[in-house]
Amino acid sequence: MFENILFLSSAVLALSGALGVVFTKNLMHACVLLLATLFGVSGLYAVIGADFLAAAQLVIYAGGVIILMLFAVMLTGGAANNENKFGIDKVAAMGSVKTYIYAGLTVLVMSFTILKILANYMKTFEQGELAPFESTVEKIGTLLVTDHVLAFEISSILLLGALVGAAAIARPRRG
Amino acid sequence: MASYTLDVYMPVLILMGLSVGLFLVSVFAAKIIRPSKPSALKEQAYECGEDPVGTAWSNFNVRFYVVSLIFIVFDVEGALMFPVASIYRKFVEVGEGGVILGSLLVFISVLVVGIVYCWSKGDLDWVRSFQLSEDQVKQLQGAEKRS
Amino acid sequence: MSLSINEYLNQFEAHQQAIAFLSDFLGTDASGIMTFLVFGAACFIIVNIMALVGGLGTYAERKISADIQLRQGPNRVGPYGILQFLADGVKMIMKEDIFPADADKPLFNLAPLLALTGVFATLALVPFSSGFTLVNLNMGVFFLIGVSSLVGVAVFLGGYASNSKWSMLGGMRGASQIISYEVPVTITALMIVLLSGGMSFGAFVETQGGLPHEWYIFHNPFTFIGFFVFFVGMLAETNRAPFDLPEAESELVSGYHTEYTGMRFGLFALAEYIEVFVLCGVGVAAFLGGYKVPFDLGSGALFIDKLGLPVIVGKNIGQVLQVGSFVTKTLAMYYLVIWVRWTFPRIRVDQVMTICWKYLTPLALFNLVGVAIWMYAFDAHSIWEVLGQAFSSGH
Repeated sequence: MFENILFLSSAVLALSGALGVVFTKNLMHACVLLLATLFGVSGLYAVIGADFLAAAQLVIYAGGVIILMLFAVMLTGGAANNENKFGIDKVAAMGSVKTYIYAGLTVLVMSFTILKILANYMKTFEQGELAPFESTVEKIGTLLVTDHVLAFEISSILLLGALVGAAAIARPRRG
Repeated sequence: MASYTLDVYMPVLILMGLSVGLFLVSVFAAKIIRPSKPSALKEQAYECGEDPVGTAWSNFNVRFYVVSLIFIVFDVEGALMFPVASIYRKFVEVGEGGVILGSLLVFISVLVVGIVYCWSKGDLDWVRSFQLSEDQVKQLQGAEKRS
Repeated sequence: MSLSINEYLNQFEAHQQAIAFLSDFLGTDASGIMTFLVFGAACFIIVNIMALVGGLGTYAERKISADIQLRQGPNRVGPYGILQFLADGVKMIMKEDIFPADADKPLFNLAPLLALTGVFATLALVPFSSGFTLVNLNMGVFFLIGVSSLVGVAVFLGGYASNSKWSMLGGMRGASQIISYEVPVTITALMIVLLSGGMSFGAFVETQGGLPHEWYIFHNPFTFIGFFVFFVGMLAETNRAPFDLPEAESELVSGYHTEYTGMRFGLFALAEYIEVFVLCGVGVAAFLGGYKVPFDLGSGALFIDKLGLPVIVGKNIGQVLQVGSFVTKTLAMYYLVIWVRWTFPRIRVDQVMTICWKYLTPLALFNLVGVAIWMYAFDAHSIWEVLGQAFSSGH
C-alpha cells in the first residue's frame, strides 16, 4: 500500500515538475521545478529498490547540479531576458500547429492498429508480492573493486578531465 | 546484507509533509491575527535608508561558478567512493584489504592531481591577482628598453 | 540495532496484541496501518521536541552569550527568562507580512519552506537510541548529506527572490559557502564509513563502545584530526559564526533573509537551529560514540538479569539511558558551537574559501588515506588495542 503511495507521489512530482520546466516562462522557476523533478526521480529509484542510486541522485543532482544551474543563470544576466525567440509559431522550420495535429492523429491510428495485432501475442502476468529489497550498496561496492575496477579508475580520470576542462573554460581571462 | 521494505521511507515522507503543514499553518492560517497595511515605502528594498538604485540582478563574478564546478567534481568523486568504502572493513577482516586499498589510492591520487592543478592555476583563490611576477616584469622592461 | 522504531516495538507483546485488536476491529490486516500510526506519532513527537529544541536554542544562545559577555541575558519572561522563546514566537507570528516590490512571490515563499523541509527530512535519521531511531536507513549519512543540501538551494533562493542587493550577495555567498564545505564533510564521513563498514548510523554507533577510549575520535590520530575538520565544516554548513558571512549583521544587514518578516524569518531561524542540532547529533554518532552508554548499560541486560525486571521494562530503561547519553553529548557539542560563535571574529569571504579548499580538503583527503592505510596495517584495531597488544606481547 505504501509502495503505491510512494510511487504515485514520486511520479506526480516528477511529471508535474517536468511539465512545469517546459511550460514556464521564468528561467529561475524552471530551475526550481527541475529540482522537484529530480526529487521525483529519486523517489522512483527508491520505489524499485535502488536505494544507493536514490541517495546519489539527491546528493549529486539536487545538491550540486541545481546550484550549478542557478549560478549559471545568474552569470548570464538573471531571468531578465524572458523573451521566447524559439516558439512553434516563431521559427518557420518547426512546422505549424496543423502539422503537429495531423502527425499526432496518424501516430494514434497506427499505434492502435499495431497494438491490436500484437495483443494476441502479449501475455499478462499475475501481480505478486514484492520480496523485501536488499541493500544494493555492498553489491555495487564489491563489483566496483572486482569486476569493474577498470571502470572505477577510468571514471576518476574522466572526472579529472572534466575538472581541468571546466576550470580552463570558466576561468576569467585577463583584460 | 540488510533487507528492508519500502516502509522505511515512510518517516521521511511524513516529516516532509509535517514541514509543509507547519509552513502553511504558520504563514497562512495566522493571517487572521496579522495586520496588513501595505504601503509603497514599506515594500522598498532595504538599502540602509537610501533609495534603492537599480535592480539587484546585476552580472556577478564568475568565481562563484568555478567554485560550484569544482564542487560537483568532488561531490561525484565522494559519491563513487561511498560504496567502495562501505565494504572495506569486510575485506580487511578477510585479509583482502590490499585490493581495495590499491584502487582507492589510485582513485584519490588522480583527484589530488586535479586539486593541485586548480590550486596552481589560481582557481581556488577568491580574489584573483593578475599581478605579474618579477621575471615577467623584467622581461617587459627589457622589451621596452630594446624597442 | 533495529531497522526502525516499528521493528523495535514489534518485539514486545503489547504491540502484537494491539495489532491483533486493530485487525479484529477493522476486519483487515492492520499491520500496515499500525506502522503508519507508529511512524506518524513518532514523527509528530520528534517535530515537537525539535521545535522546542530550536526555541530553547535561541534562549540558550542568548544566555550563554550573556555569560560570556558578562551581562544578564533574558530574565524577565518566566523563571530565569526561560519562556522568552515563546514570547518571541508569538511576536513573530503577529508581525506583518511585507512583500518587497518586484519580489518573486512563489520563490519568496518557497525558500523558507525548502529550508524547513530539508532539515525536517534529516530528523528521520538522527540516532537517538538503538530502538527510538525513527528509521535506520542503509544510506544513512549519504542520504543526510543529500537532503541537507536543500538548505543551500533555499539560501540562494531566499537571496534571489528578495530583489535586494544585500540579499543577492548574501544568498550567493551563502550557497557557495555551503557547497564548498560539503566536500570536506563528505570526505570525513567517508573516513568514518571506512572504519565502521557501513553507511547507516546504526553501523557507526554499534562499532563504537561506551567508554571514551572506544570512540572513533580516539581510534587513531587521523580520526582525531578528522573530528575537528568535521566540526569546522559543520559550523560553515549551517552558516554559524565564525562563518556567518551570509547573514553578517555588520556587513550585509542580514544577508539572504534581510527582506523576510515575521514567521517566514522565524522558520529560517528555526531551520538553522534544528540543523545545528542534527549535525551535532551526526558528529556525536560518528565520532563520540553516539548513544552508547558506558559498561553496556544501554542494552538493558543488566536490569533484566541482575535485577530481575520484566523484559519490557528493562529494555526500555536501557533505551532511556541511551537517549540520555546521546542527548548529553549532543548538547555538549551544541554548547561548544555557541561558545565558538561568541569567541571568534568573523572570517572574510576569501578566507572562508581558502580555509575550505586549501586547508580542510587536503587535510580531509590526508585523513582518508591515513585511515585506509591504518586499517590495512593494523586490521582496523584502535591505537589503544595496538599498544595493548604490543605491551602484552612484549612481556
